[in-house]
Amino acid sequence: MAGRKFDSKALAKGVFSIVVFLVLWEIGSRSKTWITAESLSGFRDALGAMGFSKKYLPWIGAIPAPSEVVLAWGTVLFDPGYWHSWMMSGMRVGGGFFAAMLVGIPFGLALAVSRTTYGIGFPVFELLRPIPPLAWVPASIIFWPTQELSIAFVTFLGAFYTIVINVVGGARSIDVRFFQAAQSMGSSKADIFRRVILPGTLPSIVVGSAVGMGITWEVVVAAEMISGGGSQVGGTSGGGLGFFIWNSYVGGSYEQIVVGMISIGIAGFISSELLRHFGKYLTPWLRLR
Amino acid sequence: MAAATAMPQGAAATRGAIRIEDVVKIYDPEGAAVMAVDHCSLDIAAGEICMIVGPSGCGKTTLLNAIAGFHEITSGRITLDGEVLCSTEKPRSTPGSDRVVVFQNGALFPWKSNLDNVAFGPVMQGKLSKTEAREKALSMMADAGLNGVEHNFPGEVSSGVRRRIEIVRALMNDPKVLLLDEPYRALDSLTKSVMHEALLEIYYRNKVTIFFITHDLEEAIFLGHKVAIMTSRPCKPKKILTVDIPHPRDYGVLTSKRFRELIEETNEAVHEEAVKAFQSGEKEG
Amino acid sequence: MPTPEKQPMSPEVMLGILKATMPFQVVSEALLRKIAAIGWKESYRAGQTLYEAGGPAEDLFIVVSGKIDHELQPGVNARRPMKTLVEGDVFGWAALLEKVPNRLAKAVCTEDALIIRINGEELLKVLGSDPDAGDVVMSRFATMITRDYTVPDLFAQLRGIHRKMHARDPQGMNVTLYRLTRWLKSPRPYLMFIGLSIFFGSWYLAVEVFKLPRFREMPGITTVVIEWLNPNPVFGLSLYSEEYYKHIAVSIWRVTQAFLLATALGVPLGLFLGWSKGVKDYVFPIFELLRPIPILAWVPIAIVMFVATESAVIFLTFLASFFATALNTMLGVESIDESYVRAANCLGASKSQVFFHVIVPGSLPFVFTGLQISVGVSWFSLVAAEMVSGQYGLGYVINTSYTMIRYPTIIIGMITLGAVGYVTSAMVRVAGDYMMQWRVRELALGSR
Repeated sequence: MAGRKFDSKALAKGVFSIVVFLVLWEIGSRSKTWITAESLSGFRDALGAMGFSKKYLPWIGAIPAPSEVVLAWGTVLFDPGYWHSWMMSGMRVGGGFFAAMLVGIPFGLALAVSRTTYGIGFPVFELLRPIPPLAWVPASIIFWPTQELSIAFVTFLGAFYTIVINVVGGARSIDVRFFQAAQSMGSSKADIFRRVILPGTLPSIVVGSAVGMGITWEVVVAAEMISGGGSQVGGTSGGGLGFFIWNSYVGGSYEQIVVGMISIGIAGFISSELLRHFGKYLTPWLRLR
Repeated sequence: MAAATAMPQGAAATRGAIRIEDVVKIYDPEGAAVMAVDHCSLDIAAGEICMIVGPSGCGKTTLLNAIAGFHEITSGRITLDGEVLCSTEKPRSTPGSDRVVVFQNGALFPWKSNLDNVAFGPVMQGKLSKTEAREKALSMMADAGLNGVEHNFPGEVSSGVRRRIEIVRALMNDPKVLLLDEPYRALDSLTKSVMHEALLEIYYRNKVTIFFITHDLEEAIFLGHKVAIMTSRPCKPKKILTVDIPHPRDYGVLTSKRFRELIEETNEAVHEEAVKAFQSGEKEG
Repeated sequence: MPTPEKQPMSPEVMLGILKATMPFQVVSEALLRKIAAIGWKESYRAGQTLYEAGGPAEDLFIVVSGKIDHELQPGVNARRPMKTLVEGDVFGWAALLEKVPNRLAKAVCTEDALIIRINGEELLKVLGSDPDAGDVVMSRFATMITRDYTVPDLFAQLRGIHRKMHARDPQGMNVTLYRLTRWLKSPRPYLMFIGLSIFFGSWYLAVEVFKLPRFREMPGITTVVIEWLNPNPVFGLSLYSEEYYKHIAVSIWRVTQAFLLATALGVPLGLFLGWSKGVKDYVFPIFELLRPIPILAWVPIAIVMFVATESAVIFLTFLASFFATALNTMLGVESIDESYVRAANCLGASKSQVFFHVIVPGSLPFVFTGLQISVGVSWFSLVAAEMVSGQYGLGYVINTSYTMIRYPTIIIGMITLGAVGYVTSAMVRVAGDYMMQWRVRELALGSR
């Protein structure tokens, strides 16, 4: 089906629904003002009967309106602290992710290539995998000397599991005939590794890293919130967008919370796209499908 | 056009005549503009087995899809028993149970039992109640020698059996035309020969028009009344052969003199087009 | 009836004949030799009757030369009541079928003929010695038989023969035991043991024996295990304490609520996103706009929106689960082979019928994969949410154990989380297997 063409009609529909979404949000969050109208007294009573506050629409009424968010964002853009948060989070994500790839890909390949290594390593791996990365935060803090390292460790864990699973899965799904072809042409084991296993696993590594990237962001933000101020775990401010959000909450500036959320969303999107393009560059043969 | 001896004995079929008139199909007209079908015209008589032979990717599946209603045509006209299926004004025909397709890789629903698969058509159209449809399905499957597998899932039986069930599923709807898109391509040659005889058995009982796409010339001449050899893309009939070996046929035909003669007549034409397709690097459709 | 001369035939000649005959030509030479060993040569003159309808069916016949007239008795559901059999033809199949003990036809020689005769029972035994090849022969037989007759329950009978031939294969419980013994004999369990010992051993050594600097404050493995199994736990949480189970129950209950809600909303949304381009064009952009925002980034907003922290926690867990479920369902619908939809259209199904009979069942495998991911993601979010706000729950336990310096309890909490997470994921997988019987059976038989 014609996919690569630019579908302007679909774009228009997308823009339309986003606009509608924003408008509804705006109206909903400003409910404090219009809900006091006489004509809506019956509606207000119904809300009260259901246990909600009569002063605003449930849920939406409590959050700041898009217009307020945009205003707050305009102010924040000039605050160097905001950009500092971007940098901190970005570095943590980049660092943790890169470390996860550095350790995870070789580990995964080792598991896939050698049955002995798989037999020894995989059970331990599978034992630890169901434990959510965030559950490691306190243990991580106890263990590592600095807070930064403890966050980095947890971030690393988050992406590590996904990458390893994808590498192992990818290596195993390489069609056995490629191996047979290489062997029949006289390749050594090292050759086969370099020319069959590595490229064959590449697509799965790319997919695994895209998913891993998403998880990394989740963990970084969570760790920043938790150790930066969310709970009593950890003390001094760690900076980063997660901390920015938490700080805004504590400081009562709700519009900034949303600014932070959207910023992280954008940051996550950018990093995923970068990864996807890099992946396409590494695997040109997949493009032609 | 079909010689008298090439038609089946017994009551002649009266419905299912297809006329393909000057059909053109261009994919992506504003972009890459790939012409798949080039002013193709073909007449298929009611109750005739018409075999379409051609190299991979030549556009023969496009023709089948146009008749079935899965693709649009760019210009031309296709009629069934005089009624227009699709034309330049109405480029896409509506899929319907008067022209049922049997797919290359099989399209039995894996999540339904074989029996429910066969009963699917009439139940969906509301023509029969579920119980009635199941009973009819049971008897049609038994006729085709498929008893014992009704309550299994398609994934549990061999692909040869699956193919036969799919044909019975199509026939449950009393179609005018059976559209077969290389249905036996993935089967080994021993199973294939048995499938051929099974198909002919079914045909002798039902006299549907059969539009059968294949790249196997022997299969085409063995089964068909008419064999249309298509050029490589864009396709149009290069040579139309009337197979004058009388029906009913059995596998003894394969070693008969006339069969060999027909193969010799047409082999060159087929080979020519295959070489052309190979040289232009056609990917399989 | 004068008995025809029954002579042994040179095995090489017999082998040569068998090799040229369907269905025997499909098997290995070794098996053919065994079959040839039980075969007999017979010659008949024109006019002699080989067998009558109604007589006992014991032997299978192969025509080497000459002609045999095969006339089926009326009442048999046959396509060709009268056949002439020539060189290479095989007949007398009733000898192989249990439910057809008597001859269905009369076989008369019309031209001096040479016949090979094989006893049915013995043939089945020989085929049973190589069950896989035997299967092939029997299924070829079946196709040949159904060309000419309709034999009731033919396939069921063949299944019976198949089962007898494979009687030596392990079945059911035997399979499990068999697999277990094979596993024990392989290096795998020992490697697993080595791996786990290295892990736990290092932990033990690092904390309790060598007392490495970094590990000084870490709880040692013995401390954790002792605490866990302690009827009177030092820090209040062990397998014996009620509170332990309360926390587990609270966490599980939260995940269940969030997961069910996310599935109830996410699956239909995903189905529509995949099914209708219009819906996708309108809704997907918003979906993709909200999805990259990490779940925890929603925490403050959730707290603001939902006055009660319990709802906030469930909302956060729900959100993560919802996105994963909806996305995977959508991908599932999009990955359904177009042929299925086209086939349904050909067969006269309306759009809504296609949706319920093709799209929904066809996307189930993907949906269940998505649900397993969704469960994992739910636990992830739940732990985070519990650590930040809320009371009770395993995340809360881990958090407060840290602040209250009850370090062994942290580890207990972590391990429990891992175990519970694994179990819930497995439950979803089992539910999926149950709902998709067809897939389990298909995978069990190996893809064709």
